[in-house]
Amino acid sequence: MHLDWGPEVESFRVELIAFLDEYAPPQTRPRRDFAMSVHDAEIIPQWARDWQATLFDHGWMIPGYPPELGGRNASPVQTMVYLEEMSARGIPRALHFPGYAIVAPSLLDFGTEEQKALVPAAIRGDAIWCIGMSEPNAGSDLAGLQTRAVLDGDRFIVNGQKVWTSYATVAEKCCLYVRTDPTAPKHKGISMLIVDMDTPGIDIRPLTHINGNADFAEVFFTDVEVPAANLVGALNDGWRITQGSLAHERAGLWVEGVARLEQTITGLVDLAHRRGVANDPIVRRRIAEGYQRAASLRALGYKGFTSFAQGSSAPEHSYMKLASSEQGKALYELGMEIQGAYGPVVDEERGEEAGRWALSFFVSFANTIAGGTSEIQRNIIAQRVLGLPRSG
Amino acid sequence: MNFSFSDDQLLVRDTARQLLADQCPPSLLRAHTDDITAARPLWEHLSDFVPLGIGPLVDLCVFMEELGRVAAPVPFFATACLYAPVLEAVGEHDLDAVLDGHASGTVALAGADGVWHPNAETRKTFVPDAASVDLVAAIAADGAVTLLASPPAQRIETIDTTRCLYDVETAVPGTSAGTISRAALDAVLARATVALAAEMVGTARRLLDMTIAYAKDRIQFDVPIGSFQAVQHKLADMSLDVERAWSAVYYAAMAIDAEDDDRDRAVHVAKAAAGEAAKRAAKDGIQIHGGVGFTMEHDLHLFLRRAFGAEALLGTTGWHHDRLADLLI
Repeated sequence: MHLDWGPEVESFRVELIAFLDEYAPPQTRPRRDFAMSVHDAEIIPQWARDWQATLFDHGWMIPGYPPELGGRNASPVQTMVYLEEMSARGIPRALHFPGYAIVAPSLLDFGTEEQKALVPAAIRGDAIWCIGMSEPNAGSDLAGLQTRAVLDGDRFIVNGQKVWTSYATVAEKCCLYVRTDPTAPKHKGISMLIVDMDTPGIDIRPLTHINGNADFAEVFFTDVEVPAANLVGALNDGWRITQGSLAHERAGLWVEGVARLEQTITGLVDLAHRRGVANDPIVRRRIAEGYQRAASLRALGYKGFTSFAQGSSAPEHSYMKLASSEQGKALYELGMEIQGAYGPVVDEERGEEAGRWALSFFVSFANTIAGGTSEIQRNIIAQRVLGLPRSG
Repeated sequence: MNFSFSDDQLLVRDTARQLLADQCPPSLLRAHTDDITAARPLWEHLSDFVPLGIGPLVDLCVFMEELGRVAAPVPFFATACLYAPVLEAVGEHDLDAVLDGHASGTVALAGADGVWHPNAETRKTFVPDAASVDLVAAIAADGAVTLLASPPAQRIETIDTTRCLYDVETAVPGTSAGTISRAALDAVLARATVALAAEMVGTARRLLDMTIAYAKDRIQFDVPIGSFQAVQHKLADMSLDVERAWSAVYYAAMAIDAEDDDRDRAVHVAKAAAGEAAKRAAKDGIQIHGGVGFTMEHDLHLFLRRAFGAEALLGTTGWHHDRLADLLI
């Protein structure tokens, strides 16, 4: 047991910091202690596109990948240092994650050579992707999806509806999960298709979040024709692809969530001083509780990373997802509470930081729902980590 | 950052676990409740481990975690985590006898308020194991350390029958052992606090393990109660708290061993996280056991007692959060 990462990692850190000092655009500089995209009018502004391309060209987009995929063949520990430094500064890699975080690894693992050729643009952000997974009747029960694809010669005909599809309004391409065998058990009749979003028969209707942003959508498919060559992996084997992700980053992505908690706590301390309640014993204790939970969570993340770096599979992912999302929501709520009557105020002049606490509280609901709700995370912990029997 | 144990640490853990599984069953805790001398043979087995008290804190925590797992009713915490480091800090040559396992001791510091900080009161409170050790090191307001043999001690009756606490009258003749500086005393207490937090994590994990086993075994409505989500989600939350507390404890131990700048905060985080984990494991553990968990006959209450006893010693969860707030705000 020891605290440091070792000397070979420190030169990596120095190189990264020098790069960030020189290239990080001004929009990434202000301390972003709040949930993302509260202020940006555009879903993916030009500066963010340029920044993603710069990261790719310098091998800092996905450090664990080779240079042609926007990386530098970094080790797991170096990748951890990368995520630490980026998140400590609140610098986002990209404002849209599906392309680099989900599509790229899925295509690299399961795609044809032709499909793999799409990966560099997905990581660099030159092509924006969305993921067609959730449906009105397939949320937590994702494998119950009903969007149908029927093979007809050299093409699939797709009919159905997706919902909560992030970035659908700006995406060029979609990784679409469809049912190709309705008679098979539900996990075994699913396939994945690459769909161009400008194909006739696709109707995209923006959905507005409770915070007023519209970066996700409902997507309707009516007799949409998709070339058979766009099938990723084997027919009816698509469920396996949903389990894939950035394997070499998965063990470190929690750092971003924990760093956001820590930045939010710093924001709460400042807020308590500005609102004149920094000496209130209840406020003090509750801020300290938040700090304790974030700090103990960071330690748990490092513990899981240790197992990962040594080659064992770590169950910590569900713990981290559950705890950081729930804690984030609680901290934003505390930020509103500290302001008393002004907690819900969002007008620019009278509201504290233009209502960012209230709006961030609203955004934070997404974190306890998306990517597996807190209840699903508890099921996973109970059944896969603690070995309890599946519920009937 | 590396959270994996060395081979030596694994050896300490495995040796302690095996020894304690044999020598410290729940029946011993019950016998100790009626007669505290019942645990003497166990203490003779464990005194070999006392030198851990002045070695790397991570190693000490490994052992304390195992003691917490069985709620061992021995003066190890008093002797190894409090008494030995105080003797070491004042350069007292009697330390050798303690490390050899020939002498045991404890520390008397808190006054009537129960808080472990220097004070001028001569009647000390919450002194662990004062009646079952050889010497009590009484610490005065100026840090003067006096070693007392069999000072007048009165047992404080608490819900925790596995750890004995005493009021001790220290205005009696003793041997002066020099003066401990405030910084040295704070360092001893920081280490002891993390060690106690490690013990609490061991107790919390025992409560969690017992409850998981019960939830898999107990049939109601024709199925194991562990298949119900209401039960699963409680167990998931208990396990999350235990995992993060374990991690916070070893992070704090590493921070102290490395003299890292984060160590003061980490100590409060560790004890508070351990308190949250132990309290939740005890409360929800009993709830999931239902009526049987509420009986004296079942062993669960022995660990509930230990958990809440340790929670109150060296600062409650709330007290540590308040000290943390003083560092943050």
